Amino acid sequence: MVGDITSLIGTIGFSSPGAFIALLFLVLAVIGAIVVVVTIHPVLQYYPYMYPNARIRARIGKLFNEKQISEIVEADNLEEVKNYLRGVPEYAAHIEKYNIEKALNTQLAETYDLVARIAPDSIKDTFDILLSQWDVRNLKSIMIAKETGLTDEETMDLVVPFGELNESMDKIMDAKNIPEIINALEGTEYAKVLEDAMPEYQKTGMLLPLEAALDKNFLGKLVESVANPADDNASFLQSYIGTFVDSTNLKMILRAKADGLKFMDVEPYMISNGYQLRDWKLKELMESEDVEGVLSGLEGTDYSRVLAEVVPEYSSTGSVAPFEAALDKNIRKIAKSISQKNSLGVGPIIGFLSRKEIEIRNLKIIVRGKMEKGFSTSMIKEMLI
Amino acid sequence: MAIELTLGTALAAIGAGVAVGFAALGSGIGQGIAAAGSVGAVAEDSSMFAQGIVFTAIPETQAIYGFLIAILLLVFSGIMGGHSLDTLTGLVAVGAGAAVGFACLGSGMGQGITSSASIGAVVENPSMFAQGIVFTAIPETQAIYGFLIAILLLVFGGII
Repeated sequence: MVGDITSLIGTIGFSSPGAFIALLFLVLAVIGAIVVVVTIHPVLQYYPYMYPNARIRARIGKLFNEKQISEIVEADNLEEVKNYLRGVPEYAAHIEKYNIEKALNTQLAETYDLVARIAPDSIKDTFDILLSQWDVRNLKSIMIAKETGLTDEETMDLVVPFGELNESMDKIMDAKNIPEIINALEGTEYAKVLEDAMPEYQKTGMLLPLEAALDKNFLGKLVESVANPADDNASFLQSYIGTFVDSTNLKMILRAKADGLKFMDVEPYMISNGYQLRDWKLKELMESEDVEGVLSGLEGTDYSRVLAEVVPEYSSTGSVAPFEAALDKNIRKIAKSISQKNSLGVGPIIGFLSRKEIEIRNLKIIVRGKMEKGFSTSMIKEMLI
Repeated sequence: MAIELTLGTALAAIGAGVAVGFAALGSGIGQGIAAAGSVGAVAEDSSMFAQGIVFTAIPETQAIYGFLIAILLLVFSGIMGGHSLDTLTGLVAVGAGAAVGFACLGSGMGQGITSSASIGAVVENPSMFAQGIVFTAIPETQAIYGFLIAILLLVFGGII
């Protein structure tokens, strides 16, 4: 047998079995290297998500389930709701320190802060920007407070202690009016954003242009951060953020058209480079005469199907609120779908943030319901998401 | 004690290297993935330490299979004394090493991913521990196939 193999090797053209074996090993080594690289590459794509996903799933396990939410709804008054939350470690410290509304916002901000800290490097920028929404919210609250003449104490009740501006909050709080707030923001991106919107504010005397400028800057950065997805995880994140931004644009257009506003009125508030609704499509929608025109302009996009379900409700009430609710529901549906499809990657993070938002929103509904006289438990339950 | 190596024995040495090298690579990556998940779980809930250790230890088995085949090759190929192997038997030894090495590479990585996902499931819902163990054990089968074939090659290839 050995002789057969040796003669076979000789007929192929090798001088000795040793030379043949050396070549065989070289070929096997190359194949082995290719196998290893091809096998390991997809695994390494998910490797950075293992640690954050375990932490996130631990937090998912601590989210309120339906039974717990039902128990909170059944509370007799606001104090009972607070007592319930005092028994939950995530909320306890904030409930002791702040008023209930601020405590809930702080817990949500803390969640975004945690996610921004543990998110893998490849998608970290997006979650850092998402965390900066608290800077935007705080600035809006302070501007409103200064305009309406709230005291420092009342203003602080509106400010959530998270975001990049948190350390310089005292300086911003000392400002007496909008120009002084802009001065206090010198050196940050927000100074220029607000300065650019100042002429419109001075012309109208309304805070809306300043608030819209902050929102547009925030959402614009968010869209930019997911514009060029490098892998599957970034693509999933892009679809989630993109749908959120598209929905924001669409809500503004629908509300504007319901109020009879024209292209020029709504155009300054649009966020460019949407996901499914690119600039040319947004222009077409903004040029529509009415809500029906917007709906027909959406044909061929996913939003057409989403909104079609609530057209009867819109027709009977004349309100665009059902459209807004349907768009919000669609975002939650996409978050859930991503969390199921991409359970080893960015999915659990997106799913968790979406569910945490729902939890906080439901708690706020319960809290407001308990604050209002004559608001029954069944009425609160109907309003829950 | 100097040992005179034949080509067959040298090939068996390569087989031993492939066996333990690739098996440990798969096991190491898998265990790293599982450990990353376990650390995350323990960071949120310190009572998860024991479960984390269990899930992190599971992908260790692939390295053990590779290590066992490598030891058998070293003992019976003449490197550690005894008779040397001829060239053809040496090639069989390479086959045995490759069988267990590559099988454990894939199995180890797969098991690491499942372990990490399972620890995530357990920290979310502690009643998932048993199901997590079952799912995590499934990718072990590929390593067992490789290990069995390697043993059969050693036995019927004239090495043992």
